[in-house]
Amino acid sequence: KDGTKDNLGLDEEVKIKRKRINAKLDEARLLREDIGIPKLRREAPKRLRFKGKGHEYRDAAKLLSYYQLWADDLYKKAKFRDTLQIIEKLGHSRRMKMEREGWIMDDNKKTSGDTQKEA
Amino acid sequence: LSKLPETVDPMIRAHILSLCSALGGTSTVEDGGYSLGDDALACLKDLKKWLKLYDQKMNRFDVARCMAEANLVKGDLLEILSGWEADEIEDRIKQRLALGCVELLVPLTWPFERYSEQSTVNHHRHIPVLQFAQAGYKKAILQHPSKRILSNILRVALPSIAVPQNERTERDEGIIKLVLYFFRNLVTIEHPMITETDTGEEISRSVTIEALEEQNVLQFLLVVSSEMGNEFNTQDVVAMEVIYHLVKSVDIEKIFLTDEQESRKQGQDLTALLKLEDEMKRASIRGASTRHNRFGTTVWIERDDKTRSFVSGQGALLGKSTALDKMDASKKWRKPGGADKKGISRKTEHDMSLTLERRAKAKFRSFVEDFLDAGFNPLFSHLRRAIDRDAQRLIEANQQQYFYLIAWFLKAERIRRKTLAAAADPKDTATPDSESFGLVASVLNQESLITLNRRMTDWLDTKQWTPLQSAMRCFTQILLTVQDMAVSPLEDDREIAENIQNRLFYEEVTLDLVVMILRAYTRQPFGWLDDCTEMVHVHLKMLERFSKQHEHLFIRSRKRARAQRRKSTAGGDGAEGVPEEEDEEDEDEEIAKLSKVTMKERAFDYSRFERKFLTQGCVNTFLAFIGNYKELNYGQMKRAIIFFHRVFVKREQEVLLFRIDVIELFNRILQGPDGLPNSHPARKEMDRFFKHYMRKLVKMLEKRPELYVELLFTKVNSTMHYLQFGYDKQIKVSK
Repeated sequence: KDGTKDNLGLDEEVKIKRKRINAKLDEARLLREDIGIPKLRREAPKRLRFKGKGHEYRDAAKLLSYYQLWADDLYKKAKFRDTLQIIEKLGHSRRMKMEREGWIMDDNKKTSGDTQKEA
Repeated sequence: LSKLPETVDPMIRAHILSLCSALGGTSTVEDGGYSLGDDALACLKDLKKWLKLYDQKMNRFDVARCMAEANLVKGDLLEILSGWEADEIEDRIKQRLALGCVELLVPLTWPFERYSEQSTVNHHRHIPVLQFAQAGYKKAILQHPSKRILSNILRVALPSIAVPQNERTERDEGIIKLVLYFFRNLVTIEHPMITETDTGEEISRSVTIEALEEQNVLQFLLVVSSEMGNEFNTQDVVAMEVIYHLVKSVDIEKIFLTDEQESRKQGQDLTALLKLEDEMKRASIRGASTRHNRFGTTVWIERDDKTRSFVSGQGALLGKSTALDKMDASKKWRKPGGADKKGISRKTEHDMSLTLERRAKAKFRSFVEDFLDAGFNPLFSHLRRAIDRDAQRLIEANQQQYFYLIAWFLKAERIRRKTLAAAADPKDTATPDSESFGLVASVLNQESLITLNRRMTDWLDTKQWTPLQSAMRCFTQILLTVQDMAVSPLEDDREIAENIQNRLFYEEVTLDLVVMILRAYTRQPFGWLDDCTEMVHVHLKMLERFSKQHEHLFIRSRKRARAQRRKSTAGGDGAEGVPEEEDEEDEDEEIAKLSKVTMKERAFDYSRFERKFLTQGCVNTFLAFIGNYKELNYGQMKRAIIFFHRVFVKREQEVLLFRIDVIELFNRILQGPDGLPNSHPARKEMDRFFKHYMRKLVKMLEKRPELYVELLFTKVNSTMHYLQFGYDKQIKVSK
């Protein structure tokens, strides 16, 4: 404010500009409770109802559009096919493999538990 | 102008120019004909020395460039060559002069190696100019009004050829080779840059073939290749190179069509193409806006959690999937693909296709047929021995050319048979039988198969995809030829076919090689993928049929990779191997205990072999192949569908294909805006497969909801079995 005092700009606070962080699709994002695979596990079996025989194309379109919207929420900037490729690649990591096995085990237990109850 | 840096040392240019003008020139006396200088022969020798001692020794192209500037080839050399009249064969001086010309022409037309370790700045300065100069040389040679340049060059070699092989001096052999090299160079030259005004038509393959035929060069090639091993010995590689450059990427099927058939086919092709275009147009109109482009429509897609995505444009109103497609199309970001540093995806010579003109076609066809009748066996068996010996005259590229040529000629032979059979009178069964497959027998023997196999293994290991591609083609064509042989009316042919199949399917290593190649696909060009999938397809089909015909089929497999001394000392070639192995069957247990057996014969189980194809790697290769669906014809589409059918229906490995990107791909092929057109012949089968696929998928998803997640990934081995059958493998075993 005082032009005579600060004409060299020495007293002005130096602002460090941060480089914008680009959102990245990585394991952490993929495993996020609200948009990642947990959401898919929660919702997909409930939301998707297929008609089966005679309606194959409609079923396929339904399935694909569900996944596409899910992928869009997960990672806005990439196209559907690219997102799928990235996710597929992430699936090769050790951590993801363990998680995936865990999910399958969970469901396995659930279904086998159900059948036991039924029996 | 003087400020510009000189491309060439002016002193050298002066030397070359003075030599060129001393060589001779247009005469003022004899009707403007060419008259030789007094010391023409010495001049030619001097020029040759310049090329050799300056250009070659110092690894430059200065002299060659000066010669191009001096118009040496067209102005002098061709004049001298054409001046050698037909009745002057015995004229020693003229012959010496002609030889001198050829000695200059060969280095001047030599193909350039653009990016070798030895290339210097100087090369990059001169090569572009020299390539145009070479195209000019070729044009001048082919179009020379005397029409006897090529035959005169041929005549240079005739005295040496007339001498029996064992009496030839080194000089004679050299002259024959020189002439062959000249023809090699001539057919190799292509126009470096084709423009509107300069189409390169004058030096096209068709024109080259016509000129070579008219001036007896093709006949000379036939003589050389049919007498290979007798009259000729070390010229095999050069002869092969000439033929390779003549034959490469020529569309074989078109050669064997008669003019009538071809014009009819062209008509049909045109109709089919127009129809396709029509459908494409209609499809694009369907998605297009019915209003002007500023009509301004905005649509939102609401999800279950009430969040919205916005899409603009009228097309979005059409339906959910079009709206989603539009949403996707508006995204700018692209997944970085990674640089193709090794150039794996670069197209190669093998990916081209070339059609000959009508007149050249007839000449070429008769050359191909004559070559098959006379030259095929001698040339290729001779070459095969050279390859096995690792002969010095072979360079790396020659082996690739060798396999390429075998594949090409085998295919030509098969098509020739087919056209003959089609043309023959069906009632008259006696005549077509007379031809046996002996004409191509030299590449079907055990030694050739071993050579092929070894090269394929080598090239796979060292990741040399282009040579591997030619070997794969060769293998496919051998398989197809054997398949044709097996149904031949001649008993001998059938027996031989049986034998070959036995050998082909005997070694487990060979069988595994096919699987490994299929799995090795990364980002090779489409042609590679095509050849690879074709090989796998043909191989699997034949093996399946063969194993069905023979209940007790044995193969030799590697048991333990450890070195085994006893066996190797006992030795035994492939022929003796069988009884020996039988003896060992008795001692099998003992040997197994010692874990010394490296090879073991065991009953072949086709389904066990087929299981090797049931991996994600193999499936991915076929998926990549079908991803090019827009360019695939019926046979190619069918090939992929059959493979998927094999995996999905026959072997019930459905999980392998249950992936969201696969669904997306199949859906795009059938339903997408740029999917297969309705008239595409493979559409019906694809449609049937996809419907079956979706039904299975829906059922599976209802049964096992964990598949919703696994749809995203390549399946892990440990859970695959569970996903497929609903219980763990181990549990089943423990029960």
